[in-house]
Amino acid sequence: MKKLLPIVFILSSLFANDIDFNAALSANYGDNYDFYSYSENRLDLNFFYNDLQGWIQYEYSNPPDVGFPINDIRKFRIEYALNDLTIKFGDIYEFWGRGLALNQIDDQITNFDNGTRGLFLSYSNGPLSLSHLNGNSSIWLFGTDLRTPFYNNSHNMSGNQFQYDWNSFSLGLTQLQSNETHQKLFGDKAYINHKLKGIYGSWIATNADFFFEYVDKVSTEKMDFFQEVAHDSLKEGHGVYGNLNLYLGNWGLSTEYKRYAFDRGHTDFTADDYGNRIELQMMPTLGKEQNSTLLGRVAHNYNLNDERGVQLEVNGSLLDKLTLTAQYSHLSRNNNWQSVTPADWEDSAIPNYLPSSDPSSLPYWENYQEISGFGFGDKLYFKLGRGNNKEILKTTRYFDGQGLSIKKNWVYTDSVEWYDEWYYIDSSLIGIDTTLYNVEAKMWQEAKSFTIPMEINYSFNNNYTFGIGFQYQERTKNNITKGNSRTYSYSDSAWTLIKVNDPDSMVYSRDTQFLINEKKLKTQYNRMIYVTLSKAPTWSFTITHDWTNGFDGPTTVDPYYNPLEALIFGDLKYFTGERNRIEPPNFIQKRWVSAELAYNITSSQRVSVMYGSIQGGLFCSNGICRLIAPFNDGIKFSYSAIF
Amino acid sequence: MKKYFFTFLFLCYGVLFATDNVVGTTIPDLKLNLLDGEKTSIHELLKDGPVMIDFWATWCKPCKKVMRYLDQYHQEYSEQGFKVLMINQDTPRSMGKVKSYIRSQKHEFIVALDPNQQIAKKLNGQVMPTLILVDQDGSIKWRHQGYMPGDEVEIERQIKLLIQSDSSES
Repeated sequence: MKKLLPIVFILSSLFANDIDFNAALSANYGDNYDFYSYSENRLDLNFFYNDLQGWIQYEYSNPPDVGFPINDIRKFRIEYALNDLTIKFGDIYEFWGRGLALNQIDDQITNFDNGTRGLFLSYSNGPLSLSHLNGNSSIWLFGTDLRTPFYNNSHNMSGNQFQYDWNSFSLGLTQLQSNETHQKLFGDKAYINHKLKGIYGSWIATNADFFFEYVDKVSTEKMDFFQEVAHDSLKEGHGVYGNLNLYLGNWGLSTEYKRYAFDRGHTDFTADDYGNRIELQMMPTLGKEQNSTLLGRVAHNYNLNDERGVQLEVNGSLLDKLTLTAQYSHLSRNNNWQSVTPADWEDSAIPNYLPSSDPSSLPYWENYQEISGFGFGDKLYFKLGRGNNKEILKTTRYFDGQGLSIKKNWVYTDSVEWYDEWYYIDSSLIGIDTTLYNVEAKMWQEAKSFTIPMEINYSFNNNYTFGIGFQYQERTKNNITKGNSRTYSYSDSAWTLIKVNDPDSMVYSRDTQFLINEKKLKTQYNRMIYVTLSKAPTWSFTITHDWTNGFDGPTTVDPYYNPLEALIFGDLKYFTGERNRIEPPNFIQKRWVSAELAYNITSSQRVSVMYGSIQGGLFCSNGICRLIAPFNDGIKFSYSAIF
Repeated sequence: MKKYFFTFLFLCYGVLFATDNVVGTTIPDLKLNLLDGEKTSIHELLKDGPVMIDFWATWCKPCKKVMRYLDQYHQEYSEQGFKVLMINQDTPRSMGKVKSYIRSQKHEFIVALDPNQQIAKKLNGQVMPTLILVDQDGSIKWRHQGYMPGDEVEIERQIKLLIQSDSSES
């Protein structure tokens, strides 16, 4: 692969007069005290020569922020487009419909890359277009390590798309097949064949538009690809997505519906649950794409194998100055679940097309409202939002039905008296009496959050802008127990009552999951404030302060707090050499402070330096979420340029 | 040591070559799928005059701030054949809401869809917003990454410069 680079440069030189090119350069470097260091350098080079286009991405990263070290050409593609024919060779990223069958992205922030290295052919003639894709995809997914991927699924795939456009209507047919080598939990491999067939259509009018897509999928499995026996049937599933938008004046209503049923389960899917949706399918998730840090941390982990839902969003403006947004979505799994025993679960289909609110179907609700606008001759910008969400994260018991109370009858054949007490010395079981009673044994984990993000910027006449942002969040996360039973007797094959003599006695308890120094906290309060001063078009300086009062798990200890944190909290001992390295001040456990200076060297070159600490947590991009490791007391440097 | 060397090498390369005006670089004729369902290409849009290209998404805060100025310039300089082309990068996750947002803001500029960043990668517009000012003959005159309040002054200055140079040549 490295040989390609000089070839490209030689070719570039030979045809230099006729070749147009552009390039982008990015260099990122980070280092902190707890061994979190990275150095990423990437060069993207695009060249255009008559009907020929090329793209090369060279990367030197040792190690990257996330992913594997590399010193090589990471990606390349050559495209030839002549009239109605397009040929692409190399790393292909295609997108059909809304992605239920195929949506390929290379997201370097979440280290998700489902592109295909192979060949793409496309032909269009008037309203008709046909395309064919063939190649191999190697897709890495994260395991327990937050920075290095662990699971690798490789696909030898081919697919075809047909699309016909007629005035404001479009109709598409898709077909894709893949032979997957799937890595299981403990490194074993499974060999699966996936077959997908899909249809999509759209209609666009002045005041409305509509999109619909349906995909059907069948998977079969072989012990290995060299076997000559037929594949065994493994899983079947389908996905449906619909989007209807209505417009009236400067108001728009967006409605979406989805139903992805490629598998079903009452828990999270693991690498051992294979044969369902493949990573080449990246479909709409139906949640608000948030740009607030605290709202991003409470994002729902979408299940693209087994989830249905609806989403409504209204966008509008008032007085040409104010923008209003209101959004609501409700999602759930496709089935309600009942735990016949704690290990044996039975599902029942939700009796309509809408999501369920039953906790056993792991429902999720979110709503968000926002107002933003300009004032004082456009010098003032403000944004005020309000977001709520509620989610059932997991269920460990969910039984509601009739149970048996077991009463055992014994006959005693001999006995002795000892200090006024009778002791039976011989006995035998002569029968068991059972009585029916109602059993409710439900245990689930529920999380709720309430968030207010706000931001104000004011621009002065001399190109200076002062901005302040504040985000406030309340979170609860509880293990809930409800009913008259919580344990199951496998020897009696029956649920055991909490109060044996009182079947009607119901228990309801909530056990919080937030802790601070092993002490339980009912509510977690998170706050983030950032202050920015900038001078257009040259520089901006931002200080960010993020703090919480508790953790979802054990308290993390960060004794090496940075001088910026010490300065902000007035810990002067830090600077006089008297700080206690063994037991740092209590405040430092729950606060992360950082400062960032960004400087535009030219309009197309930007450099930024960040110093301080950043709290880790959930980060979502393109519908893919990953946990970000905390960055404690370190420096980050980044440079980007386009030319 | 090797990693510092590469970082240094990349920086040197960038500083040497990343100038404000790359003379002679022509924008490729990329195909565009417009928000209203129509299809066109960049060179087709250039037939009437210069074009300012900007990459944006509905969840990008600075993009929304600069968009209102770009729409203003699109209308103000339309008589000189100037157009603003906004290339949207929302993924399937949020692309259903793009038109709703544009309608709510009464924006009149041209909006194209690029849900898997194919155009953005060819024009190096992955950082949002990225502005590319293209002359009618297809040559790239100015590029700009990011937006901070006040940048609109420089954006308008560049548009005016280009329009004035075009009119003086003709």
